[in-house]
Amino acid sequence: MRPDNSASCPLVPPRYPAMLRMLALFVLWGAPATLLAWQGAGESINFENHVRPILKAHCWQCHGEEDELKGAFDARLARFLRKGGDSGPAVVPGKHAESLLYDRVASGEMPPGKKKLSPRQIEVLAQWIDAGAKTAREEPETLPAGDTFTAEERSHWSFQPIRRPPLPSVRAGQLIGTSIDAFLLSRLESKGLSFGPAADRETLIRRLYYDLTGLPPSSEAVERLVADPAPDAYERLADTLLASPAYGERWGRHWLDVAGYADSDGYNEKDAERKWAYKYRDYCVRALNDDKPWDEFLVEQLAGDELLTPPYANLTSEQSDRLVATGLLRMGPDGTADARIDQNVARNDVIADTIKIVSTAVLGLTVGCAQCHAHRYDPISQADYYRIRALFEPAYDWKNWRPPAARLVSLWSDEVRKQASAAESEMQEVTKRRTEELDQLVDETLQRELAKLPVEIQPPARTARATAAADRTAEQNQLIKEYPFLNVDRGSVYLYLPDRLTGFNKKWDELTETTRGKRPADDMVQCLTETPGQIPPTKLFARGDFNQPRQDVLPGELAVLNATRLTIPTGDPQRPTSGRRLAYARHLTGGGHPLVARVLVNRFWRHYFGRGLVPTLGDFGLLGERPSHPELLDWLADDFMRGGWRLKRLQRSIVTSTAYRQSSRRREELDAVDPENRLLGRMSVRRLEAETIRDALLAVSGRLSTKMYGPPVPVTPDDVGQIVVGIDTRDSAGRPTGKVVPLGEEEFRRSIYVQASRSKPLGMLEPFDAPIMTPNCEQRTSSTVAPQSLLMMNSIFVVQQAEAMAARVQREIGADPAGQFRRAWLLAFSRAPSESQLQAGVAFLAEQSTAASSDVPVDPKTARPQPAQVALARLCQALMSSNGFLYVD
Amino acid sequence: MSHFNRRHFLSQQAFGLGGLALAWLLEQDALASPPKPLLERPTFDLKPRPPAREPQARAMISMFMQGGPSHIDLCDPKPELNKRHLQSFTGDIKYDNAAEASARLFGSPWKFSKHGQCGMDLSELLPCLGQVADEVCLIRSMHTGVNNHGQAINALNTGNISSGRPALGSWLTYALGSESQNLPSFVVLSDPGGLPVLGVENWQNGWLPSLYQGTVVRPHEPRILNLDPPEQLRGPAQQRFLSYLEQLNRDHLEDHPREQDLSARIQSYQLAARMQLSAKEALDIAGESESIHKLYGIDDPVTRDYGTRCLIARRLVERGVRFVQIFTGNQTWDHHGNIEKALPSICQKTDKPADALVEDLKQIGLLDTTLVHWGGEMGRLPVIQNEKSIGRDHNTFGFSTWLAGGGIRGGCVHGETDELGHKAVKDVVTHHDYHATLMHLFGLNSEQVAFTRPTGVGSLLDGQPPSVVWGILKRGPREQAPA
Repeated sequence: MRPDNSASCPLVPPRYPAMLRMLALFVLWGAPATLLAWQGAGESINFENHVRPILKAHCWQCHGEEDELKGAFDARLARFLRKGGDSGPAVVPGKHAESLLYDRVASGEMPPGKKKLSPRQIEVLAQWIDAGAKTAREEPETLPAGDTFTAEERSHWSFQPIRRPPLPSVRAGQLIGTSIDAFLLSRLESKGLSFGPAADRETLIRRLYYDLTGLPPSSEAVERLVADPAPDAYERLADTLLASPAYGERWGRHWLDVAGYADSDGYNEKDAERKWAYKYRDYCVRALNDDKPWDEFLVEQLAGDELLTPPYANLTSEQSDRLVATGLLRMGPDGTADARIDQNVARNDVIADTIKIVSTAVLGLTVGCAQCHAHRYDPISQADYYRIRALFEPAYDWKNWRPPAARLVSLWSDEVRKQASAAESEMQEVTKRRTEELDQLVDETLQRELAKLPVEIQPPARTARATAAADRTAEQNQLIKEYPFLNVDRGSVYLYLPDRLTGFNKKWDELTETTRGKRPADDMVQCLTETPGQIPPTKLFARGDFNQPRQDVLPGELAVLNATRLTIPTGDPQRPTSGRRLAYARHLTGGGHPLVARVLVNRFWRHYFGRGLVPTLGDFGLLGERPSHPELLDWLADDFMRGGWRLKRLQRSIVTSTAYRQSSRRREELDAVDPENRLLGRMSVRRLEAETIRDALLAVSGRLSTKMYGPPVPVTPDDVGQIVVGIDTRDSAGRPTGKVVPLGEEEFRRSIYVQASRSKPLGMLEPFDAPIMTPNCEQRTSSTVAPQSLLMMNSIFVVQQAEAMAARVQREIGADPAGQFRRAWLLAFSRAPSESQLQAGVAFLAEQSTAASSDVPVDPKTARPQPAQVALARLCQALMSSNGFLYVD
Repeated sequence: MSHFNRRHFLSQQAFGLGGLALAWLLEQDALASPPKPLLERPTFDLKPRPPAREPQARAMISMFMQGGPSHIDLCDPKPELNKRHLQSFTGDIKYDNAAEASARLFGSPWKFSKHGQCGMDLSELLPCLGQVADEVCLIRSMHTGVNNHGQAINALNTGNISSGRPALGSWLTYALGSESQNLPSFVVLSDPGGLPVLGVENWQNGWLPSLYQGTVVRPHEPRILNLDPPEQLRGPAQQRFLSYLEQLNRDHLEDHPREQDLSARIQSYQLAARMQLSAKEALDIAGESESIHKLYGIDDPVTRDYGTRCLIARRLVERGVRFVQIFTGNQTWDHHGNIEKALPSICQKTDKPADALVEDLKQIGLLDTTLVHWGGEMGRLPVIQNEKSIGRDHNTFGFSTWLAGGGIRGGCVHGETDELGHKAVKDVVTHHDYHATLMHLFGLNSEQVAFTRPTGVGSLLDGQPPSVVWGILKRGPREQAPA
């Protein structure tokens, strides 16, 4: 039985806490502005604009949308309000005190439940009633069944087609670097502002490295680039970095957030490992490095399987990549491998989470809110939700479910299969022989134990033992109870013959291992596929409850998005799959979709400027924030599509713009008008993301591995439960064994390659806001809290990197403190220190060094670090912990 | 995105071993708390929360005796067993180790005598417990019915035998928050001899948000990871480090005027340093009087370690920590063999400190509101295991635990095992009953120790109706404050 969501959460299913919070926040920020718009704009208060959104959010579920009208009262039209229900008219125009609607909400009687209307909302109702309960236009007599969107809703900005705007004219034309600048500058100029000065070269180099690769430049690179006299040095650097392998890791990570990438199933405490998820991660990194056009990239992720013909056997690498790409649709938490979980709930949750991932990623809409009832704010009906669901249901057939293990597609060729089959037969033989030998040992032991009994008891005891427990006589049972050590079996024989069993196990384990080694290594793909010929009907679920199926729903696009453009193939016997996702993916990337390109370029933009043109990256709906530069957003979206959906082209035009090259320094005149830097009259100061901080620490310490791709680096709890990189060596009872299996280079790989376990987030990343994928992360936060400071001050990881960096500096520079300081500073901040910084740093080194020699007695035998080395490590740690390191200008 | 605060993010994590060892600090961090938006769903924090009813207990110290102390040798005298010493017992019995199993009964080698005004029968192995017998309620009828360590620990420490559930301490801090400004609200004091069975899972937050995970005070330096500096960074070295770091940051801020995030981080380092100091202060027992050191046996090498941990537990509770769990080392009480030597040895290490804790709490007036628990996950069988080196096998059908303070009726013995000490037969107390009683003492109702997860509602009582063990409480059902 599915838990009843409606009682605890009238707005959205409880499985979307993150979204719920976002919604709640937007209610708070968005509502007053919306509601009071009429006061300033001179527009008179009316039903459609001011009252309807309140009633839709709070009243319609019971009074209009559901089969049964509570109190025979429908609240969807002003006409219906005047008519009222069982209790009489709800609204008496001109007299709010006599209106039942006002009375019920003001007294708190309605809506039932904890969530009430705000005083401001109640005030709006009163004012509307007193002003005559007017509508913006004449209302229909009745409402048709189904979607009832108003013209206001349909005209929401993000549902309108993308049109390429002309470049605006600006006064300071010399400031235009790329077209982007024209849009930004014209807005700034309209406020009497302009772009700020350009950042210095060192700042730009560091900014570009972090933004494009997520890594700091090497000290040599900084020195070389700062001195490069070529006028196009910066542009060439941009090209070099866009072409570097680290670029794909950096930008792949951004997309993995949206995809909800994880190497584990999540959902419950079991959190089973997803052994093959990493191939999707690698696919994304490669796609970005290859500058794969995003229309193709999206089509492959949404319907790569439909580009192939089943059965999926003997695949080329290009073909297998298309299957791997559908890993996007396998990223959501999935508890269906655990038989203890209510399968119907778990399966439907997987589908809901997948819809959430797809809809926030490419539609930028909270479609999931319409699972249980019409979206409270956006024109998304429940039927819309199930139309989207129908796109995925041929692959996610909840009544014919394939558990995670059954969905893997093997990449073995027929040849390899044969080898594997032979090895498996051999393995069975080994297991059989092992069991036979074990049984002999059990029997031997039994004879020996029987021999310990008084001679006269041995024959009856032998018989009792040979008799199945259920068939024993009372005397026989008594006999066994008296001599409990006769209960030897396969499982307990090790207790009788500990030494022999150790030898036995060693011998057979080795043989098993050798035999298993003959089997070719598994090579699987975690992908989404359909079962040919199997297309289940999709039902609308009343209140989102699968126990209350209603009418059939056909696959399609959200009605408000001009859904007629999408044609879904039906009943084509030639097609091996339903073709639904492929048709949808092509519809999304066909160039006419109002949301996809806008949502994508907005995300890209955010990774450069710290804020989206639409700040709510995952919500382009009515509660999302409106774009700060709508024309620029459209221009970018259009240009992105015209340019063949190539990201690197777009990125080049961003990083070579004047806007991007500005200094981040605040200016009084700019702060006075635009303290949040929405207009981009300067660059924003941004904190590095969690992974970037870890990667940068490894980079400056000189330990960073550049190894790409492959199975994730494992994580494990340490002796207090904090998660660290390492192999889990706990014993079968969960106790630490103290054993450390060296990981070598693996330990120092970039964070994107560290196992992303939903239940075991890396202790170094989590405090810096690394997301937990439930199911995905539409937008990261950036906090400033004390645990981050304590981590930088005391964590073993940071201390080790500081020591490694000190050793590196010493190796590269030698013992000269001033030289050491210059190099450390250059590594940490990508620039040379000023004279006063140098003096302060050298003084710190001297002071720490003197103190260290008295703090820490030097014993040459114990190889304790020299005071100068200790001092240098502390210096490195201070640089790493400082704002200059943790932030990018 | 300054609008999203850290707590929202944290609340997204609904299960697992948190990677964030210092999650509990968040609530103390003013910088993490921008104006709180109106949220429809509670966010998770460590603000103190009132329970549904007037609480009798406000904090708890659990001395977890991992391995299974032999109740029939410690606190549950069985004259009939002694009488039938070495005779065969052919009743229904579940052995863990078949090879060393024997049906021969084994009477307790230790003498029992009556203690306190209440006349509690205790063995000579626990002389100090006798001195606080009138404060203690001894339950002789504990029952979990699962025969291995991991599952039995889970039953008593998480409410169900399966793994992955939130620990008791996580539930209490989730329900009640923390009274302490600068200390974690759920602290674990682990043993120098190693972690107990289940290792770090013993203090996991399970599917509760990670800020309810237990924080471990380790037996060696650094005592609290990330909160306690590594050796080479202590004291003046760190002060110089922080002062140089602040200089760097101020220098940087001059170049970035009015960047609030940058100045916030400067303050965040100052706050971190203060937190570090208060944790250090709480763990430092040097300032305690000589008589306190003696009381806990810190002057004696045998009791020094356990005594120190008990005293730290008291200091933590004094400073507002909600739940402290002191673990004995791996399988210390698991006496499958050599019980005649091994059992006295562990008793000598723990008896005096454990009882000193009760006495000390009483002296400083904290016993009334602090619930003290002593017990393991099982007891032992009345029959011999291993004739060559006599021990006793697992017994989860009847064993003993004692509680004191926090609303517990002192000087009482509750429940009975059968004449041989094998199975609880009278007033049986299961792990559900135990947890229901704890919840009652903390004034909590079922909703306060429940959490909605994708798979439904999870609770400490695992969905069972609360069944309070009234017989061990000071106040009966009619004397409770109204709900």
